[in-house]
Amino acid sequence: MTETKRLQPSRPWSRQVLAALVRRSGARIGLVWISLLVLVATFAPFIANTHPLYMVANGEGSSPALANLEPVDWIWLAGFFLALFLALVPGKTWVRVLAWLSGVAGATVLAYALVSPPILTVYEQYREMEAAGTIEQIVRAPIPYSAKDYLRDYGDTGIEAPLAVSERRHWLGTEENGADVAARMIHASRIALGIGFIATGIALVIGTLIGGMMGYFSGVVDIIGMRLVEIFEAIPTLFLLLTFVAFFGRSIYMMMIIIGITSWSGYARYVRAEFLKLREQDFVQAAVACGLPLPSILFRHMLPNGLAPLLVAASFGVASAILAEATLSFLGLGLVDDPSWGQMLNQAVQSSTFNWWLAVFPGGAIFFTVFAYNLVGEALRDAVDPHTQRTAQGAGR
Amino acid sequence: MKLLEIEDLVTELSDGHDWMRAVDGVSLEVRRGETFCLVGESGSGKSVTALSVMGLLPEMRHRHPRGRIRLYGIADQGGDGLDLLGAGETVLSRVRGGRIGMIFQEPMTSLNPVLTIGEQMDEALQLHQPEMTEDGRAERIKAALEEVRMPDPASRVAEYPHRLSGGQRQRVMIAMALICEPALLIADEPTTALDVTVQAEILKLLRELQERRGMGVLFITHDFGVVAQIADTVAVMRRGRLVECGAAETVLRRPQHAYTQSLIAALPERLERPARPVSGHEQLVEIRDLKVHFPVRRGFLRRVVDHLRAVDGVSLEVRAGEVVALVGESGCGKTTLGRALLRLLEPTSGSILLEGRDITRLPRQAMRSLRRRMQVVFQDPGSSLNPRLPIATTLIEPMRVHGIGADDDERRARALALLERVEMPPDSLWRYPHEFSGGQRQRLAIARALVLEPRFILCDEITSALDVSVQAGILKLLRRLVDEEGLGMLFITHNMGVVEYLADRMAVMYAGRLVETGLTDAVLRAPQDEYTRSLLAAVPRLDGALLSA
Repeated sequence: MTETKRLQPSRPWSRQVLAALVRRSGARIGLVWISLLVLVATFAPFIANTHPLYMVANGEGSSPALANLEPVDWIWLAGFFLALFLALVPGKTWVRVLAWLSGVAGATVLAYALVSPPILTVYEQYREMEAAGTIEQIVRAPIPYSAKDYLRDYGDTGIEAPLAVSERRHWLGTEENGADVAARMIHASRIALGIGFIATGIALVIGTLIGGMMGYFSGVVDIIGMRLVEIFEAIPTLFLLLTFVAFFGRSIYMMMIIIGITSWSGYARYVRAEFLKLREQDFVQAAVACGLPLPSILFRHMLPNGLAPLLVAASFGVASAILAEATLSFLGLGLVDDPSWGQMLNQAVQSSTFNWWLAVFPGGAIFFTVFAYNLVGEALRDAVDPHTQRTAQGAGR
Repeated sequence: MKLLEIEDLVTELSDGHDWMRAVDGVSLEVRRGETFCLVGESGSGKSVTALSVMGLLPEMRHRHPRGRIRLYGIADQGGDGLDLLGAGETVLSRVRGGRIGMIFQEPMTSLNPVLTIGEQMDEALQLHQPEMTEDGRAERIKAALEEVRMPDPASRVAEYPHRLSGGQRQRVMIAMALICEPALLIADEPTTALDVTVQAEILKLLRELQERRGMGVLFITHDFGVVAQIADTVAVMRRGRLVECGAAETVLRRPQHAYTQSLIAALPERLERPARPVSGHEQLVEIRDLKVHFPVRRGFLRRVVDHLRAVDGVSLEVRAGEVVALVGESGCGKTTLGRALLRLLEPTSGSILLEGRDITRLPRQAMRSLRRRMQVVFQDPGSSLNPRLPIATTLIEPMRVHGIGADDDERRARALALLERVEMPPDSLWRYPHEFSGGQRQRLAIARALVLEPRFILCDEITSALDVSVQAGILKLLRRLVDEEGLGMLFITHNMGVVEYLADRMAVMYAGRLVETGLTDAVLRAPQDEYTRSLLAAVPRLDGALLSA
């Protein structure tokens, strides 16, 4: 190409990728579904809650829904609004990510220190109050049931229902303990999102650090690192999870950590390969020749250039982490009381009959979520691939 | 008798949205026994023209709004010729390889690495001459390899491509293209990736083969030296159009079109050499008996079985205000020498002195502050700048690290001044590398090197990926920088024309050693060493070839 002046606004690479991503309809569908999921997960207590959002009882207005918010609910809300705020403020990406992480950490500490919802929740009280006529005004959540508001469908228990049948509508049916399926699914979306992001985040951090060191230093570091990768690749994630669940009980955080520390090896390989390639690139050599310090060479000149395959792998990684959790819950080894899509699938086949609504709705949710992440991953791969970006260029030599 | 006729060809390529006109109304005619050279700078559409003839452009991504391409001399087509643009895939695949042979630029990637060269040549024969027996084909392959003067053809047949050198691979490519005795050979920059001595041999071979067979050759190149060596007819292309076409001698000696004139004037050996100030005697960089050996490791325990002597006892000095050219063919160790000199590679033995101070074994930390004294510009404009950072960051970060300038505003002002120095617009500061052309990127890489106010700059083949007109600009810029600022420069290159224009002294490197050192004029006029002589003789020159013709 001859030296012609091309005047067009400069866009950083991240913007270009984002623009190319949003151009693809697959990515759009995936991103819409994921953002819908994020919204639902964040505002779950306001979408599905037995506690009324607002009520006036005995002449006194109150919001039981707010009063009964758990620390986790506050953390979700804080994280969401902080992310929204940071997205609007200009600044460097890594500063914003760091600010978000520290903000969420601070919110976690604050929430557990300050928030103490009533330990005993009696879901029945509002309905009883309503039946007794002490409530003058009430605003309910769109789905007026909490995830753990069991025995909603008295069925043949013999207990008399406090409300008329028309007041007890369960759009997606109830599960074996009589809780509302829609409410449980809404609350379960948090686990799906959380486990995907946190497990993949842990894997990304470990994989980038180890892979980066292997790629940049090579030699002995590389040999040791590769053996470590091979060892971790030989560990079956599900089996390790089963073992840990058996020994240490069921905890969502433990699951996230275990999925994270067993799945970093793939990312490490990607980063290593990229760094090995980049190390020989002229601009990296020039950075060394300019006497730039090592952190700058590694994180400013090499990492951003090796990020593309990592992003693609991560979006597929999120999907597989969600599937791992669903599998575990389906096997009955997931969380005990907290709702999860996999656990509901399990209930579909537990009783003597096949409960189709317990299979279709949570199963559909798992399917669409994993599908959405795969769509985004696929589109991201196209968006960062220089071959699909500029095609006709370079043909005329 | 005409063989190939292109009439008013228009080829448009698509990037998925827009159509870009790559070839715009080209008409030419290749005759039997004639070498037709298509010359032009990168992006001028010469390769696209060749690919249009072969029908090898990407499907759905190209179209021909106008034009005809006719191939004559095919028995079953009569005197009217075969219309290649309208031909179906079956006809075309019979023509490709059978009637038209093609050689590509990159010998390293144009052979399939998992098949032996015999198998690859056999395939073409099986397709185009199914009536031949297996023995007959084997005989033919051997003869073809013999014809391209492949050493020991009988045993080479079973060899895999990675066992052959670049020149040998290109010989195999030629043998393969010619095995079905095509009437027309299309050669797309077949010698660009080769060393000059190998290039000279291949050009001679092509010439001989053509004379013997009476083929027509469509030869695509950007190098006027090569054109002068091989062409009967020359056509100069620019932005998809033919600007000038005629007999080689006429076009090269008395170019009519302004563009052809400017191209020939931009050849480094034609550039006017300005009067130079007497170079100082202040010694900047000296290397003494430098050796860089790479261990060759084998086996399970990675025992060191041998050493690859990339640089084997080189002594060289660069003074302030002078350009020393380091010349050699690929693999002679000149790039390794450069990297070791900057301590990007650890030398095995010997010493490197920067302004009288031994830096050979300086620890990394101490080296870092000295790095601003010696800077480097690399070969590949595609990878010399970090694609994720705007130019401003690339230029300002080194200054910040070395404490040049009080704050970022002052550094930005310095960066702007430097951009002006390398003749780049000031708004480049906020742009990203991909928005610049190859020549502009090399200018920016020079600016990055200058930002630290170095005393010594290493230039590693920085113009070899550029077009001549762009190269001329960069060479002028470098010469000015050296003369005005008293820099010392080691210029690694394989291009003799560049050496002649730029260098005060030159050193010739062969197999890790310096075989000859001296003033540029002296070495070029009267080379003492045998290797230097053969190297200089192999350089295709515009003037030399025409004078002898």
